[in-house]
Amino acid sequence: MDLAVRDIAHHKGKFVATIIGVGLLFAVVLSMNGIYRGFIFEGLSAIKVTNPDLWVVERYRGGPFNEQSTIPDFFHYSIEAIEGVEKASPFIFYGVERMIQGKRKRFTIIGYDVFGGLGGPQKLTAGRHIRRAHYEMVAHEKLKFRLGDTIPLGLHNYTVVGLFNDGTAPDGEPLVYVSLPDAQEILYLRDNEEIRNQRERLLKTLTAPGRMIAEQVQQYMPLLEINTHMVNAHLVKLKPEANPMEVARKIEKNLYFSVYTTQQQIDLMMQGRLAMPRKQLLLFRIILLIVSVVIISLVIYTFTMEKIRSIAVMKLIGAPNRLIIRLVLEQSLLMTAGSYLVGLVIIHNTYHYFPRLVRLTPFDDTVTFFIALAGALIASVLGIVQAIKTEPALALGGN
Amino acid sequence: MAILEIQGLQKTFGTGELAVNALQDINISLSAGELTALLGPSGSGKTTLLLCISLIHEPTSGTIVFDGETIYNNGWTGTDLRRLRREKIGFVFQTPNLIPFLTVRENVLFPQELIGITGKKAEERAKELLDYMEVLHRSNYLPALLSGGEQQRVAVARALANRPKLILADEPTAALDTERGMKVMALLKKIAREYQTAVITVTHDVRMIEGFDHVYHLKDGRVENTTNH
Repeated sequence: MDLAVRDIAHHKGKFVATIIGVGLLFAVVLSMNGIYRGFIFEGLSAIKVTNPDLWVVERYRGGPFNEQSTIPDFFHYSIEAIEGVEKASPFIFYGVERMIQGKRKRFTIIGYDVFGGLGGPQKLTAGRHIRRAHYEMVAHEKLKFRLGDTIPLGLHNYTVVGLFNDGTAPDGEPLVYVSLPDAQEILYLRDNEEIRNQRERLLKTLTAPGRMIAEQVQQYMPLLEINTHMVNAHLVKLKPEANPMEVARKIEKNLYFSVYTTQQQIDLMMQGRLAMPRKQLLLFRIILLIVSVVIISLVIYTFTMEKIRSIAVMKLIGAPNRLIIRLVLEQSLLMTAGSYLVGLVIIHNTYHYFPRLVRLTPFDDTVTFFIALAGALIASVLGIVQAIKTEPALALGGN
Repeated sequence: MAILEIQGLQKTFGTGELAVNALQDINISLSAGELTALLGPSGSGKTTLLLCISLIHEPTSGTIVFDGETIYNNGWTGTDLRRLRREKIGFVFQTPNLIPFLTVRENVLFPQELIGITGKKAEERAKELLDYMEVLHRSNYLPALLSGGEQQRVAVARALANRPKLILADEPTAALDTERGMKVMALLKKIAREYQTAVITVTHDVRMIEGFDHVYHLKDGRVENTTNH
């Protein structure tokens, strides 16, 4: 006779209410797992989608994703001249926020060499890749743009020619690909009024008494204005026989840049920009699991205390301790398994409503289940101790 | 031959100046099929005596011989005592104390399962006892749906389920009205005679013990007087 199941059947309503309550807590634990995985996935997404053999960035910088890096765009010619390099392409990326189609949208622009260069979008879900040098874009589906939409960015309108769904910026924002010159223009170029004002300010500063004369200033002014021919990195594709570390060393030595492989970029992100939030989320997951175990422990303790007289009767009529332990333990495990199942169903049916990616994996689900079961064993200790301590004499005497 | 022989039983709670002698020099002898009543006011030691007989409370001194075995002071462990209780002793309480989440039938099956009797044999025994106690029609009900008298009869059936040699009943009629109380006591008498089970019952109510073989009057932990029939 399974006493645990009989007791649960007798208290169905209470049991169901409890597993729904604890199940919601497990749903939060599982969602945190998914948020954690999603956070890392999104954090590394742009690196993995771009995936060149080498990333060339500003000297001593961990860029372009983990740290800001700025280098001139023409250096890809010099990089291509290094032995072992098959191709090098400039790469720029930055976040923007614009009012588009009546809505405020945040996204990250990636500028790349659209004529055979590296760093463009991989698999498109609709439309085509960028074919023209200007005013075309390929956008992430999350932005809800449609093919043919014209999107105003900076001084010009850009036509959406392709859509994709793979790849976000490290902060989870959707990517938008445009040609490199367009990306530089959107980032650096000001409208005419602002350019005139800036020139005027510069002229006044430089022609102050004791400085330069106006003719000299006019001569050097173009050199002092913002340089728009800058990028964040150059992407490198190596020849099949090339040794990445060897090529990286040559680029670093000859061109005075820092060079990373894609794996090193991933490591930089994991140990840098993503490290603290990862630890934060991990700690939060642990706290939630502990809270779940404490709650189950208290529920099991309450369940045990409610039937303490029945336990005393059982002990009085000679029930062995292992039967009592089994009763408490089985209820604890059933409650945990039931709650976990409720949590699992809830989160697997709701995770897509979360604003950022929630990436649920069978591995995390399974590990959480076994941790929860181990927690249930710990949780039942309080109830078991109470049950074992119960004096059979409690069964005698009145209410 | 006596099924239970208690000699010089003493139970003291606490030590030194705080020591309370709950039982002193108790001598009781009981044969199979005999009915014994323990009478006395509250605090006289009736329930303590039941607890000492079943070794739920360990006596301070004395001898208890049950079914030919010295069950106290022979080095028995808790496991041995639990085995003794589940195999040879049946309990009836002041309140029925049925396990609320088991049906009437399962409450009677439970003590049998503890001694390894399951399946058809256990079912037949449960049916027989419930029929005997006139509650067979309530077999599949939960205890909460039964009247107090019915619950107490189920409790008696449960106490008999393991074919005990001794039934210890602690005020089994206290929670019942006179009519239902009489009915339960009549059943206990019938059981004692028909199943040759010795019964020791604690009660306040002298009307309930008509036809008992031995009546022990306890006061301040001592047997004040004994009536044998």
